[in-house]
Amino acid sequence: MSNDPEKLISLRINGKDISAPRSHSVIQALWYAGYPRVKGVGCLQGVCGSCRVLVRRAGSNKVTTELGCELLIEEGMDVHFLIYPTPPHQSYRLEEIRSSWEVQAKFHEIFPEAEHCRHCAGCTSTCPKGIDVERGVELASKGRFSEAGELFVECVMCNLCQTACPEMIAPNHVALFSRRVTAYFHIRPSNLINRLELMRKGGLKVIE
Amino acid sequence: MAKGIPYNIALKHYRAQAERPMPQTDFGEELLRQYHPDYLRERCVDLTVGPNAGDPCHRQLAEVLQGDARIDEADLAGSPEVETDVLVIGGGGAGCAAALEASLAGAKVILATKLRLGDSNTVMAEGGIQASVEKDDTPQQHYEDTVKGAHGELDRSLAAQMVMDAPEVIRWLIQQGMQFELDQYGDLMTRRAGGTSAPRVLYFRDYTGLEMMRVLREAVFNSNIEVWDYSPAVELLSDESGHCAGAVVSSLKDYKYILVKARSVIIATGGIGRMHLNDFPTSNHFGATGDGLVLAYRAGARLRDLDIFQYHPSGLAYPPHLAGTLITEGVRSAGAYLLNAAGERFIDELKPRDYVAAAIIRECAEGRGVYAGDGQGRPSVAGGRTPGATDGKCGVWLDTPSIELRQPGIIEKRFPKLLHLGTKCGIDPRKQPPLIYPTLHYQNGGAIIDREAASTVPGLFCAGEVCGGVHGRNRLMGNSLLDIIVFGRRAGQAAAKRAHGFGRGPKKITIEHLRNFRRELMLANMPLARKSPLLFPAYAKFDVDSDYDGLRKTAAAGFIND
Repeated sequence: MSNDPEKLISLRINGKDISAPRSHSVIQALWYAGYPRVKGVGCLQGVCGSCRVLVRRAGSNKVTTELGCELLIEEGMDVHFLIYPTPPHQSYRLEEIRSSWEVQAKFHEIFPEAEHCRHCAGCTSTCPKGIDVERGVELASKGRFSEAGELFVECVMCNLCQTACPEMIAPNHVALFSRRVTAYFHIRPSNLINRLELMRKGGLKVIE
Repeated sequence: MAKGIPYNIALKHYRAQAERPMPQTDFGEELLRQYHPDYLRERCVDLTVGPNAGDPCHRQLAEVLQGDARIDEADLAGSPEVETDVLVIGGGGAGCAAALEASLAGAKVILATKLRLGDSNTVMAEGGIQASVEKDDTPQQHYEDTVKGAHGELDRSLAAQMVMDAPEVIRWLIQQGMQFELDQYGDLMTRRAGGTSAPRVLYFRDYTGLEMMRVLREAVFNSNIEVWDYSPAVELLSDESGHCAGAVVSSLKDYKYILVKARSVIIATGGIGRMHLNDFPTSNHFGATGDGLVLAYRAGARLRDLDIFQYHPSGLAYPPHLAGTLITEGVRSAGAYLLNAAGERFIDELKPRDYVAAAIIRECAEGRGVYAGDGQGRPSVAGGRTPGATDGKCGVWLDTPSIELRQPGIIEKRFPKLLHLGTKCGIDPRKQPPLIYPTLHYQNGGAIIDREAASTVPGLFCAGEVCGGVHGRNRLMGNSLLDIIVFGRRAGQAAAKRAHGFGRGPKKITIEHLRNFRRELMLANMPLARKSPLLFPAYAKFDVDSDYDGLRKTAAAGFIND
């Protein structure tokens, strides 16, 4: 039966030839073959961005980037784990931005390289979540933070886009900044504020 | 165990249908007693040593709680020492909230985490966070729902504190830069959770935890907090009066130990899903191996409710490489039915999680489930082990097409993670229902704490899933993201306060408590073969891996567990 989930697949991971059932992800295949793997393993559900891999498929010259927990093994695949890079190099605190009028100016102080984007699309092509990364950087550079942030709803902060950028832009942090200032300055829900006000006046105590 | 109806046949009979009648059967407590994995008494033992000697505990958890330490004095000779006001162990939501508050209060903070900052169950939480903000809802209702969900067996003062802090916690999160789903007027949108009397869950798509974690992680990176990644704590330190005085932290980068002397220690290491209790798959992060419970227990902290765990009703049952992956309760909250192989509903889908999980197990155990084996009639490997783990191939339908029929577009708009997951399974959840089965999700019990998150050992604070008492025997959806921020912040504030008031003067800081614990184990004739904390699940083969960056089939020397 051709789609038997137990059928063994041969592939190469980090230079080691292994075989594992076809129903396995890259990480599961490693464990199945008896190789330890601790680093680069995280949530195992595609939301933490830890298990970044470079992949070349049989008969193709194209190298793609994916998440090892989500990637099913294929015959003849060649996979390399990418060690997680260093934390962000820029630094900012939201409370240092005095008002929403200042956000755009502050943004270019914190991320001066963002406007140097060469539009090489490297960031977009590495994104394992299919986000239009380059567009997000462009929008943020123009001060359109809410729109920029909206593009990055599914971003898992795997940092692949940062690795790909020749201008050393950290697009995922640009996007997260965009999302954070949007919340910090513009989310003011009246239902929450009412509730806080009522409780501040001593209302709504809990009787145990 | 009855095997159930083969997947292809059941799928052929499945029809998307907007409305189906609510089943009339109500089995009450009997359902739990017969089918919930917690009620299998043979899965439990009484603890023989430590602060909870005599209390029931899950067998697998008892093995690690009563395991032997990974280190002794000889391992620590010549290890460097570092001093700090507050040491936070764990880099999830609770740990980050604690570190941020302690740092804000002026304390020098080190945050040590086993993998990377943010690697945690927080990032995977989908459904949302509870806070009573709607006008027809109150903290009192939130409290009463929590008590009821917990079967009354909780620490009422903790639950009361949690619900009262909830609205302020949402404000704090927004000020950290977290977004929530808003309506056209900019008000917070709410949805119902199983076992709640009002819509109270605030959320961001089905990525609430991801949104929370990436924001908190960024806040920590942009602070004075020193973050040590790939640095699991393997033991606590104590002073001559038995107070907690720091921890022994190991490094996965250079395989060395560091003694961190701290005036306050906060354990925020999360739960135990990756111990795969009762052979269940899990929705938990790779690092959820109960390390904090072990550390706290050996240092003398009292724990509670070590025999009760939460099995989330909707874990993916098929395909196998994604088994255990969570599908948010928000999907049921939006009206998705649970259907057996005959296409019938069998439980009110918004009952508390323990009932719903037990009902799914019952359907499968009695042969009304969908069997997703190889389709060739091969018998179940785990035949006969009822209730609980099947061979991971039986389940029931989560009827996602029905909500799409009622509200076209809802799945794409509100549940992008589900849609993405569907792609990975090769199905479109708008047209075809995913197959689900309960997945080990949450540790209800844990370290006993007070309102300031102080454990029973002075100097040791605990926050988040590692604690017990907040949720009793069963936690409601949306109460864990709330719990971690409420008690994470409280722990951070209290730990910083204690550090400020700390008397100077020489203190002898040792791992003396380990020697005492080891003596107790020997006197009780307990095997010393099992080392703990586990740090990683067995299948990651951590203990034979001496090169964490690479692949080595036969490791020459173990790192810690020599």
